[in-house]
Amino acid sequence: MQNENGAKQDIATTDGTTKPDAFEIDDFTPRYLEAAELTFTRSEVGTARLEIRNEACHLRVVARRLTPLSHPEAYISLAADEDTEIGILVNPSELAPESLKILREELDKRYFTPTIQKIYSVKEHFGIHEWEVETARGRVTFSVRGLNQNIKQVPPARLFVTDVRGNRYDIPDYRELDAQSYQQIQRHL
Amino acid sequence: MSTAETPTGTLDALPNLLEETLQSLNIPTGQIRFAVQSDINASGSYGEEWFVLTEAAIFTVTGEGEVLHYIPYESVLGIRAEVVVDAGLLVLETEEGTVDLIQYSNGCAAKFGFVARFIGDEVEFRNDKRDEAPIWDYKPEDHSCKSCGLLLPDEFSPCPACTKKHKVMLRILSYIKPYRGRAILFTLFIIAGTLILLVPPYFSRILIDDILRLNELADAAPEASETRLGALFRGIQPVAIALSVAVGTLLSIQLIQTIFSVIQGRLAAWLTFRIAANIRAHVYKHLHNLSIRFFDKRTTGTVISHITEDSERLQDFMLEGLSFLAVQIFLFFGIGGMLFWMNWKLACLILIPIPILVFGAGWFWKKVRSLWHRAWRRRSKLFDVVNDSVSGIRVVRAFGQQRGEVSRFGAANTDARDYETHAELIWATYYPPLMFAIQLGTLIIWYAGGLDVLAGAMSLGTLIAFHGYLGMFYQPLRYVSPLINWASRSMTAAERLFEVIDSQPEQLDDGNLKAMPNISGEVKFHNMTFGYDSHKPVLRDINLHVQPGEMIGLVGHSGAGKSTLINLICRFYTPDSGQLEIDGEDIKQIDLNDLRQQIGVVLQDPYLFSGTIAENIAYAHPDASMEDIITAAKAANAHEFIVKFPDGYDTEVGERGGSLSGGERQRISIARAILHNPRILILDEATSSVDVETEKKIQQAIDRLVQNRTTFAIAHRLSTLRNADRLFVLEKGKGVECGSHEELMAQEGIYYKLVETQREAANVRAAAQAVER
Repeated sequence: MQNENGAKQDIATTDGTTKPDAFEIDDFTPRYLEAAELTFTRSEVGTARLEIRNEACHLRVVARRLTPLSHPEAYISLAADEDTEIGILVNPSELAPESLKILREELDKRYFTPTIQKIYSVKEHFGIHEWEVETARGRVTFSVRGLNQNIKQVPPARLFVTDVRGNRYDIPDYRELDAQSYQQIQRHL
Repeated sequence: MSTAETPTGTLDALPNLLEETLQSLNIPTGQIRFAVQSDINASGSYGEEWFVLTEAAIFTVTGEGEVLHYIPYESVLGIRAEVVVDAGLLVLETEEGTVDLIQYSNGCAAKFGFVARFIGDEVEFRNDKRDEAPIWDYKPEDHSCKSCGLLLPDEFSPCPACTKKHKVMLRILSYIKPYRGRAILFTLFIIAGTLILLVPPYFSRILIDDILRLNELADAAPEASETRLGALFRGIQPVAIALSVAVGTLLSIQLIQTIFSVIQGRLAAWLTFRIAANIRAHVYKHLHNLSIRFFDKRTTGTVISHITEDSERLQDFMLEGLSFLAVQIFLFFGIGGMLFWMNWKLACLILIPIPILVFGAGWFWKKVRSLWHRAWRRRSKLFDVVNDSVSGIRVVRAFGQQRGEVSRFGAANTDARDYETHAELIWATYYPPLMFAIQLGTLIIWYAGGLDVLAGAMSLGTLIAFHGYLGMFYQPLRYVSPLINWASRSMTAAERLFEVIDSQPEQLDDGNLKAMPNISGEVKFHNMTFGYDSHKPVLRDINLHVQPGEMIGLVGHSGAGKSTLINLICRFYTPDSGQLEIDGEDIKQIDLNDLRQQIGVVLQDPYLFSGTIAENIAYAHPDASMEDIITAAKAANAHEFIVKFPDGYDTEVGERGGSLSGGERQRISIARAILHNPRILILDEATSSVDVETEKKIQQAIDRLVQNRTTFAIAHRLSTLRNADRLFVLEKGKGVECGSHEELMAQEGIYYKLVETQREAANVRAAAQAVER
């Protein structure tokens, strides 16, 4: 890891003479970031600032999940802006607690998809299903048209429900819902 | 401060609490230019938060009146509506840095998208990067039903809540109107057929009471018979004749019944297929008038299933279900009446198992249906696995993954087996008890009726007739649940069909359309902005004036908006703001038939329809003479290869032109465009994906084609645009450079860079080829 970083710096210092293909090869090597090297802080305007020890400071870092469904808490891509990836953090839990908190907040902002915790009711009116649910982000009602097209099942038991406005709602495992919620789902699936 | 046009209306009305907050900050309400409400609060939960723009500042306030951001408008450098996962984020670029201003759910994306566009344009205008102040032309995307307020799935669909099921039924029936006479006849036959069904059991009663058991009876006098008809039969002597008359009557009833069901079935077939065909034709015709946007929102599969599956489902129901349903309803009431008339006490007893039957059958069918549906899903998944690995068989072999594929199939197979077994087990377990419940009624009648017969209160014939009716009486109840389900599914299918019919057509002829049979080909874009979703513009502020006969090369990276620009010229979509004019006339006002008659396209992957080569070349003008077709083929350099085919111009191209090579299909599509003789020609990557030799031929054909026509050409290889009069360079949806090749090279801008990159690549290729040799 250290060597790779070093290699990158070598190229940067000898910029004038590097061959284009040397750059290309380096561009295709994923860079894995060491949690111990990273510090997240809040900037004055509220953005997440990332400091990589002895290297750089990025004022507004964009965090993305590489595996949002299978491993949401691992493999985080950090980018300096929308397009330029700084590197990949495999295990964010190794971060210092304060840094981890900021990273989680950023992820939470980018991955809004509310998790459904309880289903109060699913009522059908003329092909439109009115859902009233409790999510991790509060209680909400939404409308789903044509359940078949708008409920996607990720095996074994994860469900994504898409409402008429294009918002998605996540049920990580419908078998683990309480009895009443489970019944509501069963009745309509 | 150089404020542009102040928007007149606020997007969302500000609640009183927030007005008080503003006043406490010394901001008079009059200074508020607009306020927009988000449905997500600062902590990321559902709630309320406000974005407010005043004359001097942008700020955000919570629903409780707490100010979260306060940013002087002058320090704003840029703004964008960022799309995050299942929500949106308004991001502000200021002199202090980047600020994540406010978060909103997708429901608010349209209005925040507009706000970002408006403020962004205003900031650019203020910094002299834009000539005109932005115009406040926010149109709320109100896709909710005008009468009930329900949100519609898209802008074209009718409200599903307001199209009630019984109305759907009435609409289906309205298709019967032209065949009124036969429909009435059909109904009469159903009624008559049902009435006839009531006769045989009644006759069995007479057969037993008044003929067969006559000599056992104590009082065999005709007056002692329970029925008038019975009395009549008792009067016939000898009994053998009475018997033959009775059996003969039964025989003729059976015959009549058979004739009736033949007529009824023939009428049903005649009516149903006509009605279904009419609905299908109506849907199909309407489909071709719909906006391309309609097709964007649906997959090809969905649209095809509209025409085929839905109409088939509806047709099946009308053919079998509807008459079955009608017969069952008549039977239920007809027989019910008969039973009560014969012996009301016994009739009350047969009602006992009905609740069990109705609820039990209801529960059973629902359970079985959902299980079958699940089993069916597993099965189709199994087929997907097979399909996947068989279509990719070469890849499977090349990567040596046979074993993996077999085990993938094995898993899906086991899954399908388990679900199917489960469904069948439930069926096998619960269907017999259900039948038992039905038998229960019969047993009750045997016992209670039997007691009556023993006591002499009822004749044996009546009991037998009663039993005959009972079987018919319970039958409709047994099928009540699947029938209702069948009916409701067919109504849904009908609804989907009517949804297509009710969707708005591409162009409404409001009488103001301009007929333009002869356009000269002048095309003008003025400050035109467009996005497939109006809050995500793909093209922004396009300004371009093209003279008739001019050839414009469209240049830019992929995703820059070149193809979108072409879609707009074809008027597959209409601009969100600004104008697109052809011959000085707004494109929205030009009669679409006239416009499309004069636009020709040659695409990268040309679509050929099944039919002969000649038919494909003459697609736009089916009445073209053979001479015209040959002239066009010749000009397109297609004639040379067509002659070599054994069937010449009569060669069948097959589905998607599978039997022809890419270059051949391309030349046929050019011939098609030449014959079409359009005023405006569109070439979308017409020469990519063919070898160098073919490209030369195609290029030659294109050179002939573009003469005297306004042409828009997209080409990946810039060298193919060498004949263009001007090049229009797009970058991230904006027109950034425009001019001749020489002018743009001199500018050393984006075009210059693109040309240089391609030249380098070409050099590398040339060098590589030299090495190979």
